[in-house]
Amino acid sequence: MANARALDKRRKSIRNIRKITRTMELIATARFKKAMDRATAATDYTARITRLVGDLAASGLEVSHPLLEGRTEVNNVATLVLTANRGLCGGYNGNVLRQAIRQRQEWQDQNKNLALDVSGKRGISGFKFRNISVEDTYTQFDDQPAFEEVEKIAEGYLEDYASGKIDRLDVVYTQFKTVARQETVVETLLPLGSLIDEEGSEEGASGSSESLYEFVPSPESILEEVVPMSFKVKLFKCFLDAAVSEQIARMVAMKSATENASDMIRNLSQTYNRARQSQITGEIMEVIGGVEALQG
Amino acid sequence: MAELQCVVVTPEKTVIDKQIEFVALPLHDGEIGIAAKHSPMIGRLGHGEMRLTGGGQSESFYVDGGFVQVNENTVSVLTNRAIPAADLNGEEAQQLLDRANEMSAKSPELMAIRDRLMSQARGQQRMVAKR
Repeated sequence: MANARALDKRRKSIRNIRKITRTMELIATARFKKAMDRATAATDYTARITRLVGDLAASGLEVSHPLLEGRTEVNNVATLVLTANRGLCGGYNGNVLRQAIRQRQEWQDQNKNLALDVSGKRGISGFKFRNISVEDTYTQFDDQPAFEEVEKIAEGYLEDYASGKIDRLDVVYTQFKTVARQETVVETLLPLGSLIDEEGSEEGASGSSESLYEFVPSPESILEEVVPMSFKVKLFKCFLDAAVSEQIARMVAMKSATENASDMIRNLSQTYNRARQSQITGEIMEVIGGVEALQG
Repeated sequence: MAELQCVVVTPEKTVIDKQIEFVALPLHDGEIGIAAKHSPMIGRLGHGEMRLTGGGQSESFYVDGGFVQVNENTVSVLTNRAIPAADLNGEEAQQLLDRANEMSAKSPELMAIRDRLMSQARGQQRMVAKR
């Protein structure tokens, strides 16, 4: 027979766990809102720089820059993997790691030199566990990545690209599509390809009015500055997306953990009540048995 | 006095979005003053002081490179950082300058980095000295 006391003890501990997961869910929700606000605040800059590029292009300037054109021969590739510093967020870290390892395999099959950079403690330990050596590691990025920090990394990559140490840079991260949908993607940031995002292109085209701009000092010089800047902003957006997605993943994981705990408590309560009832019945039977024995 | 819209954005957030009368910005080779109905322009910013005047008040910020776009009576300032003048730290600027002075400048790329750091440090120092 199930021990009623042991069942009660177990039920109590699950209640405690539910309390913790519930709190974590609430924290993740608050952090998600903050991260989301930051991400939306950052879109203003992107929209404006896209418009600026659109206006530059409209002035008849041929948009060409070493960062925009791919190398004919790609030998050294760098991959930056964005994971979380903390776990308990469902498949978030696992998905990114899996994608990164698949990407790594692809490069190895093509005999390229790969430099793997990882952000986030989970990713670092994940690669360590699989005995994959990584080059640079970053752990300073939490739910609110600072542009200054991202800029430092971006400048490192720009330098490596300019000096020919790397020919291509991919970022593996979780892209934020909607609140209900995040996707693990591999995005090529160097070479940049096009300056204007797909979303922004229409806006940029229609938004540029017929103004005749005066360029100080010259369109070429401005372009020279715009291109690295838009790379930095793109990289920053990757970090922001990853931060938002992490909080959503944690929110969802903790929500289902709380629900599971509730289910378990319900089941345990049922078993516990049944066990208690049968214990009481047993005791009554014993008392009655005793009374009958005395009478007889 | 005629007014114009001034928007200052950094990659992290929108710092300023309001009506002003006049703004002075550090371009890469000197200062530019923009008042209402300025002709359309796109310029490259340097490192230095941005002064906003509006409603009888004046504000001062340190801007860290970037661009300015003037269009339809709106000034958009895209910059890496916009720090209120009061928050600048003279010691930090000096440290930055010292570090830049120690850097090697053996290739054009390194030289460009060194020059940028120096210009940032000097821009900040100038603003601290003015306070």
